[in-house]
Amino acid sequence: MIIGKWYAKGSSAQSDAELQITGDSFTLNVKEGISYSALLRTLNVRSRLGNVARKITLEDGSVFSTQDNDAVDLAFKKQLRGKGLIHSLESNMHWVLVALVLTLASGFGFFKWGVPWASEKIAHALPHVTNQLLADNALVYLDQYIFEDSMIPEEQMQKIRLHFKSQVVPLGASNDEIKYKLHFRLWKEGALSIPNALALPSGDIILTDKFVQLCENQEEMDAVLLHEMGHIELRHTLKMVIESTFVTVAVMMIAGDSNGFADMGVGLGSLLVSSNYSRGHESEADQYAFKHMLFAKMDPIAFSNIMNRMTEYMEMPSISTIKQKEDESAVEVLDYLSSHPSTRQRVEIARQYSECFHKGLTTCEIIELK
Amino acid sequence: MKALSFDGSGMEYFKIWIVNVLLTILTLGLYHPWAKVRNNRYFYANSTLDGRNFEYHATGKQLFIGYLIAMSLFIAYVIINQISPQGSVVLIAVLFLAVPWLILRSMIFNMRMTSFSNVHFNFTGKIGRAYINFFAYPIALYIGLVLIIVAMTTAISLGGVAAALLGALLAVGMIAFLLFSLAFIKKKNTEYFIDYTHYGQGEFKTDVTLKKFMMISLKTMGVAILVMFVASIVAGIGLYATVGFDSLVALNGTEKNPQLMAEKMKLLLPVLSLSYLGVILASIYVMAYSITQHRKYVYANTSLDEKVTFASTLKAMPLAWVLISNFIVIIATLGFAFPWAKVRAARIMLENTQVNTVDGFDEYLTQKQNQASSLGEQIGDAFDVDVGLGF
Repeated sequence: MIIGKWYAKGSSAQSDAELQITGDSFTLNVKEGISYSALLRTLNVRSRLGNVARKITLEDGSVFSTQDNDAVDLAFKKQLRGKGLIHSLESNMHWVLVALVLTLASGFGFFKWGVPWASEKIAHALPHVTNQLLADNALVYLDQYIFEDSMIPEEQMQKIRLHFKSQVVPLGASNDEIKYKLHFRLWKEGALSIPNALALPSGDIILTDKFVQLCENQEEMDAVLLHEMGHIELRHTLKMVIESTFVTVAVMMIAGDSNGFADMGVGLGSLLVSSNYSRGHESEADQYAFKHMLFAKMDPIAFSNIMNRMTEYMEMPSISTIKQKEDESAVEVLDYLSSHPSTRQRVEIARQYSECFHKGLTTCEIIELK
Repeated sequence: MKALSFDGSGMEYFKIWIVNVLLTILTLGLYHPWAKVRNNRYFYANSTLDGRNFEYHATGKQLFIGYLIAMSLFIAYVIINQISPQGSVVLIAVLFLAVPWLILRSMIFNMRMTSFSNVHFNFTGKIGRAYINFFAYPIALYIGLVLIIVAMTTAISLGGVAAALLGALLAVGMIAFLLFSLAFIKKKNTEYFIDYTHYGQGEFKTDVTLKKFMMISLKTMGVAILVMFVASIVAGIGLYATVGFDSLVALNGTEKNPQLMAEKMKLLLPVLSLSYLGVILASIYVMAYSITQHRKYVYANTSLDEKVTFASTLKAMPLAWVLISNFIVIIATLGFAFPWAKVRAARIMLENTQVNTVDGFDEYLTQKQNQASSLGEQIGDAFDVDVGLGF
């Protein structure tokens, strides 16, 4: 016998009621002399959820509600077959633990491998027009807000462009769909002239004046140009767009129902994930450059030389002294937040490639350091 | 007077939640509507008053189409946002135009899908009112604010004592304008949400005044100033005790030497970050104060058919404590304490909601209703349009 409350259709009035089950039929006795007798299958039983009151709807729309979930499960075993699947997951501690572990594992796997893999596939499936779309107006915007006109003499520009077109592009370009073009700009932050090289997905590569000035030989510049070409050939900007779409949508789905306070943690989490992806892109572009350098019989150490020189230049004024004092752990934490791999790691990989170069190899096995 | 109670537990909800999360991940998000239904069913059914409980009736199938549309729009927004900022501005503008409609649709859907003691709620607000409340008023507020700021900057740029005085006057005017218009919008929204809500054949009615809303805002401002004042004194003492006055003075005049300044600043960093945390905690308290004051006033002046009355006994300090500790626990457990946090929040809200049930609910009967489309609800959910009064 199951004890509960009975409501007439659409009425909030409660009456005590008892449900009696015999074989495949039932009798429901309501205190006020109302009584139902019919087959069990005329009843509509809601699936179980925790221990909340269970609603059983009768054929006339009236409702029998009871707290005795276990008795209902037992009595309606046949009818509920398949319906209680989710509840049996939820109520079994083993399954909950399995779910917890699976959630952690699939969440980790999704962000670590799933997103980069899917982004890679999608990025390369899209036509090159998408890249141009992404780069549209980017240079105009940069010119307006960040760059100034280059002070490099026209002759030198021509020389670099010619070398790039005849020597570097044929080395790295996989097809002639992408139209590579070099631009020279001055980038100043206060009194500081910034050395940098940037790649737009359309094939435009921008070199700043300070960068050109810091390059001591052709190989150093070529190494960086190949690195930038790597970003373009491997469609990193497009991948980045796709990856952050994945992250934003996934985060929104998991944490969408949470309140504003949790959003801060969620925001920090997606920042960590995104910078992790972009670190991956930098390493990929590095390797792209090293491989092509080996192939063209250039010493990859040139890349580490120019990287070191740029870092030294940037740290020269004031920052360097403090940085040295910071303890290792703090540096490691910052490392994780940064969108670039640490210079130390990049230089180490360049060194290993350089060793291969000196052995006369054209391919190289790399031991990743952590 | 009887208080509502929450009969669920954090552990029980954790099991439901973790299965929801897992199935959502494994189905690449497609399970989300069904997960939402289980969530809502759990919280509604465990909210009880006098042996009767709430019930959430929507099904995953009903929410699914709306969810797909909302998700596609959201994905489109994320992509457009990265490719072209102008495009996303246009999209936001379109969304802003749709917000009143979305609010109305969500309200209708959610109310119809909710029952208490076997009787459904309903919402009969009209679309015109929704556009006045959620579109016209906010735009008027924005225009008014821009006009005052323009007048203020021109007054100050004129120079002279008279102009400065006028500028100061306009600044006071701006605060008064904000105080008035925010209270005005709050009053209009409260009336809209409550007066058009039905419980079966019963009608909710609220009787709130602009004056009282402005008083609450003024009091909140006072509390905010007081709390910030105390917080800055505490921070000042902390600074003095840890770093000392000398270092602070020494910081002066180091602008020319960035290296020295950076070193000095490093000493201050722990104290500064503590003060930052203090400001966050203080603002949570101020927010809790504002919420509890509004809630108390609105509940006390709301009735159902003038036979059932309500009261809120929620206090600012306990609410702030729940919000702050929930926040810390969620961050510390990387989100896995979320179920317990949500149960705690539901409990404090419900246990501080009182209902006078002298006449009982027995005379109310559900009105005949058409099934409402669930689209509005899902888009509102995905884009986090939340104008709710808080239960």
